[in-house]
Amino acid sequence: MPKVTIDGKEITVNPGTTVIVAAKQLGITIPHYCWHEKLSIAGNCRMCLVEVVGQPKPLIACNTQATDGMVVKTTSEMAVQARQGVMEFLLVNHPLDCPICDQCGECKLQDYAFEHGQGYSRFIEEKVHKPKRVPVGPRVMLDAERCILCSRCIRFCDEITKTSELGFLQRGNHVEIGTSPGRQLDNNYSMNTIDLCPVGALTNRDYRFKSRVWEMAQTASICPGCSTGCNITVWHRHGQIMRLTPRINDTVNEHWMCDTGRLGYKYVHAATRLATPLVKSGAAQRPTAWRNALRQAAELLKGAKAAALAGLAGPFATNEELYLFRKLLTQVLGGKRLDCRPRDKGPESADGFLYKADKSPNYRGARELGCVAAGKEGWESILAGIEAGEISVLYVLHEDPVGEFGESDRIRAALGKLQGLLVQDILPTATTQLAHLVLAGSAFPERDGSFTNDGGRVQRLHRAFHPPGDARADWRILRDLAQQLGAEWAYDSPADIMQEIAVEVPAYVKAVYAELGSLGVALQA
Amino acid sequence: MAEQIRIISKNFEVPNAETIDVFIERGGYEGLKKALRLTVEEVVEVVKASGLRGRGGAGFPTGVKWSFMPKEPKKPHYLCCNADEGEPGTFKDRKIIETDPHSLIEGIIIGAYAIRSKLAFVYVRGEFGLGYRRLSAALEEARARGFVGQNLDGTGHDIDIILYRGAGAYICGEETALMESLEGKRGYPRPKPPFPAGYGVYGCPTTVNNVETLCTVPHIIKHGADWYRSMGTKASPGTTLFGVSGHVNRPGLYELPLGTPLREIIYEHAGGVPGGRKIKGVIPGGSSTPILTAEMLDTPMDHDGLRTVSSLFGTGAIIVMDETTDIVAVTRRIAEFYHHESCGQCTPCREGSGWIPQILRRIEAGQGRMEDLDLLLSICANMEGRTICPFGDAAAWPIRYNISRFRADFEERIRRGSGLPDPGPVPGVLGGRRADLIPVQVSA
Repeated sequence: MPKVTIDGKEITVNPGTTVIVAAKQLGITIPHYCWHEKLSIAGNCRMCLVEVVGQPKPLIACNTQATDGMVVKTTSEMAVQARQGVMEFLLVNHPLDCPICDQCGECKLQDYAFEHGQGYSRFIEEKVHKPKRVPVGPRVMLDAERCILCSRCIRFCDEITKTSELGFLQRGNHVEIGTSPGRQLDNNYSMNTIDLCPVGALTNRDYRFKSRVWEMAQTASICPGCSTGCNITVWHRHGQIMRLTPRINDTVNEHWMCDTGRLGYKYVHAATRLATPLVKSGAAQRPTAWRNALRQAAELLKGAKAAALAGLAGPFATNEELYLFRKLLTQVLGGKRLDCRPRDKGPESADGFLYKADKSPNYRGARELGCVAAGKEGWESILAGIEAGEISVLYVLHEDPVGEFGESDRIRAALGKLQGLLVQDILPTATTQLAHLVLAGSAFPERDGSFTNDGGRVQRLHRAFHPPGDARADWRILRDLAQQLGAEWAYDSPADIMQEIAVEVPAYVKAVYAELGSLGVALQA
Repeated sequence: MAEQIRIISKNFEVPNAETIDVFIERGGYEGLKKALRLTVEEVVEVVKASGLRGRGGAGFPTGVKWSFMPKEPKKPHYLCCNADEGEPGTFKDRKIIETDPHSLIEGIIIGAYAIRSKLAFVYVRGEFGLGYRRLSAALEEARARGFVGQNLDGTGHDIDIILYRGAGAYICGEETALMESLEGKRGYPRPKPPFPAGYGVYGCPTTVNNVETLCTVPHIIKHGADWYRSMGTKASPGTTLFGVSGHVNRPGLYELPLGTPLREIIYEHAGGVPGGRKIKGVIPGGSSTPILTAEMLDTPMDHDGLRTVSSLFGTGAIIVMDETTDIVAVTRRIAEFYHHESCGQCTPCREGSGWIPQILRRIEAGQGRMEDLDLLLSICANMEGRTICPFGDAAAWPIRYNISRFRADFEERIRRGSGLPDPGPVPGVLGGRRADLIPVQVSA
């Protein structure tokens, strides 16, 4: 095991460890552009040049293996001078258009110029001009002048997606990145190149010019787009999502997320969002106050015998909401019919990487928490029960059976026979249209709670902003409804609910919020 | 005056030497036959003992390089012959390929044998049209006669040779860029480590040798290490092809022992400077090697000798410039070459090689500032030793040494300022003759 000394600190590392990684383990960040822990070593930016005692020339930390007894200096005159030189070269032909650049504020060129630059320029010649505003793909815009040619985006497409859309064109200081004629950077992970790009060369066509980086707040969340549960950061301003970016979690999504998930947030800000409870009045649905809505909901649910009551949970609800939903139906109301179905779009819809066939984030949670019916007691039997008149009241949580389950005519006709249809959702659907009462809930960035991904990892969502209008957190709607029905539910937050789940459901024993942290925990076997 | 020694160049003026019959008649493939009777270790030992140094520019001992290859192959081994001769001023390998292609094939087969390789590649510079045709034809002849193929001369050793034409990039003469290009990729040098002997072509152990180097090997095998060491110097034994161009009366290739004084090569072999003019400077080993001043003409032309004047042996390509030469224009022209040829992969070379000619064009046009000279030296310092491959050094050295050794010329141009008309593109800085267009001739 080689022992190296970096800036006076000793560390023993595994054989083969590079200096840049050894330094990282010591908490020393050696500045770099092209090196990335998930990509092959390119060694092209030369920003990580350091002094290795005994070597006449500075070496790149990213491609130098730490050997026993090696002494590395990252702040010696040789290292500082080498970095300054590289920094100057990188800025020679850079357009320095920070005021209008999307990357401004999160740009490594800015950061390192600040930390390692000379603070002035010796360059008085004409800069090399290259194409700007190149739509290199449907979701990614290229500014070739800003590019520092680190090749991270190229290596991502070669090594991670293995689609190889990008390459270098031309030579010398005319080099630019680009695609072959007729090709586009259009794989479903293309937008990860934007995150990988250390400068403003690759920008997000969806987010371009919407906001300055420092104007946004960041909230840790989980992508609700499929059962993988990619860890994400919601970047938002004034209650509006500006962009989603992947959050590093090596056990789930590493550094990546798919473009479908990244751009899948638009519905959150749809003009048609349910912003208030609705009550059926003749053929129409009219807004009503929560006090009234909850009273009417309680009456609807009480109006049926326990055997005539059924619940349909959506795999889009959080663990906490699903737990309360089941508890309300079975313990408070004594019901026995409850099911939840995955949003399975078939194996062809999965890509073998992060994007799974089940397009819902929490079917696993629904199963673990007892919301999925066993055997023949599931949705088919509930539907038959409705058609046979045995079930008269149905409570639907974040699900749209008419629109999503196929055979919509049959389901519409069946639901039309119900005495009470209670639907809790965030958008008008084919099912809410039939409802006697619609309860306006919350979308993922408005929620506190957790999802359980298909691998059995419980991961936290944090609330970024409030739901629109009078819409409420779903756990609160369920709690208030239970209280209306006479139950003494005293939950003050989703944390309280998870505390109870951890006691009641053995698999969740370690899933209390204090333990979930930012990366989640695995279910206990 | 020492006569030329005809070893590598012995067939240069023989009619039809490119055909196998003439080649064999003149002793060709005898070294190969002898080599195949030796063990691999014996071949490597002889070449090691001969002290032969690579003729591609770096001068690394060939036998030592071969000994880096794994002794017990786990993967296929490859020999790559670097025939991507592109260093301005250099034209020796082209001459060999065009007039004596079988000598290269013979060298390749021995080299492949020495590194336990059954497959060799020849990366031929794309511009070598005639050379490629001659080499292709020679390879077919060698195959037909059983010199290339299976069970060579009944020894059980196999060899095949694949010719590959480059597409016109100087950088592909850098050995790792060459391997990338050979694999069909963009010719970008690889970061080292790993080194080619461990991870080369297609990830397999590979040795890259220059054309002239390989052509020398059969002679060493045939006549022995001591014979080879009887020529040249202790540290740089043998003979080499000096390619003389520029302001000389008889430009061409001269095969002479290493260590021959530069003055003798220029004045005795290459016929001196036209019009009896004085020499201003000499580039001793191709455009990237630091320029020598007229005071350094007694330097012995070998690796150590050139080090004493802070220059390099390079490829033995001597470019002579007389007193009428505009050194600012020369520097600018060299800088433009390296700007044109920088692959652009790593930052210091990509940006430095572009910035330098911008400043030099300004100086040449009379828009220079005195501080530009130190700026140029600083840019060179920021390139040297900071890049993936030696190109960064190659691009920086001529600029650094031209300025430091002829600073007065630059200062004079800057002082004169823009009183002069813009010279525009300079028509051939070498007295109107481009080194690569000068017909190759070997004096009798």
